[in-house]
Amino acid sequence: MSFSMSVITDNWSIFASGFVATVIFCAISTVLGLLFSVPIALSQLSRTWWWRVPARVLVEIVRDTPFLVQVFVIYFVLPAMGVPMSSTAAGLLALSLYGAVYFSESIRGAILSVPKGQVDAARATGMSQSLALRKIVFPQMLGYALPPLGNQVIGLIKDSAVLSIIAVPELTMAFQNVLGTTFAAPEAFVTVAVLYWMLTAAVAFGMSRLERLTPTYRSTRQAVLLLAAADR
Amino acid sequence: MGLEWQYVDHALPFLLKGALVTLEVSSLAVLLGLLVGIVVTVARQSRFKALRAVVLAYISVVRGTPLFIQILIVYYALPALGLDLPRFESGVIALSLNSGAYISEMIRGGLTAIPRGQLDAAKAFGMPNGLSWRRIILPQVLFLILPPLTVEFTGLLKASALLSVIGLVELTRTAQRVIGETLRSPEVWLTTAAIYFVMCFVLGAITRRLEKFASAYRV
Repeated sequence: MSFSMSVITDNWSIFASGFVATVIFCAISTVLGLLFSVPIALSQLSRTWWWRVPARVLVEIVRDTPFLVQVFVIYFVLPAMGVPMSSTAAGLLALSLYGAVYFSESIRGAILSVPKGQVDAARATGMSQSLALRKIVFPQMLGYALPPLGNQVIGLIKDSAVLSIIAVPELTMAFQNVLGTTFAAPEAFVTVAVLYWMLTAAVAFGMSRLERLTPTYRSTRQAVLLLAAADR
Repeated sequence: MGLEWQYVDHALPFLLKGALVTLEVSSLAVLLGLLVGIVVTVARQSRFKALRAVVLAYISVVRGTPLFIQILIVYYALPALGLDLPRFESGVIALSLNSGAYISEMIRGGLTAIPRGQLDAAKAFGMPNGLSWRRIILPQVLFLILPPLTVEFTGLLKASALLSVIGLVELTRTAQRVIGETLRSPEVWLTTAAIYFVMCFVLGAITRRLEKFASAYRV
């Protein structure tokens, strides 16, 4: 068995475009997922059951079924119900849904990590529920939410490889194309693994930087100062 | 929308049989993964720098690359190295190599929860090091990591759907076969999703029970 660099250099453009596609798909799904995760998390914490129950059901369904099966359901079942689906659209939808649900669990956990007494105190000083949420809970929540969110973004990137099964043109698909034309397993495997590894390492590094930037208000004194500032 | 559920009556026995294979493959994988995790944890504390470097590289690669790629590597690349494995075995190996890296992190977390004084106390009684690990430390660690271990098992159960790609006839592959026969894809996919849901939901309930036990034990 020999390892020839030419397999990698000759097919570099295929790998590169697959890599770019994976980055774009994951970026879009992360943004969409984050956007939808906050309402899902808040609905789950709602006091009214018609908000809480549907959100909980959605989260449980997504968490308790394999991502691959979700992809198949979106790709094969939705068209049968009259919703046209291309493989790329199905892939993006599945990945965004996955992101929204898993991110919402981190955000819900982070909201619950903020001591409840602080919201009570804010309400007692006359702040509205939504103002207390915006000024007291959300700023503190970030510190708690970022570490698990980082792991979930990395999970999302890794699970995006599954989309190649419905022929979404991303990195794993590109890798399979190279594999099919060159029959050079080791080279292609090493290349695709290194590319994914670089991407996840870059995200991990970026998240650790971001974590350092977010302030964590943990002391009562700071919370009181924050309250006073919000009161003005 | 026209869903015709009579096709499900026909498909259900096959799907349940597939679900059994799914359970089989994932429980074997979590047990082997536990073994890999223990070995990795021990190797991480080895005196030999080279061994530590290898283990850290293994963890980094497993955690940094998609499981799907890892499954393909075990199935397609290992035969090129002269190691030809049947589907079931290579599926179990791919899953357990993957979960071993994560389980070793759990074990490390569990170890930090056990006071170092217990080892000293055992030593004071004249217990040899190996015995105190076997009798005192490991049983407690295993008890503590039982809840995250069931979470890992649930994760593997879902991940084993990927083994359909290498042709292992578990639940997802069975669904594809049934669809090939009946040509009724929506009903079969929804039923398949429901079977996975029930299995994972039950495991989730068990996890919550175990968490209660473990937290009562921790005090």
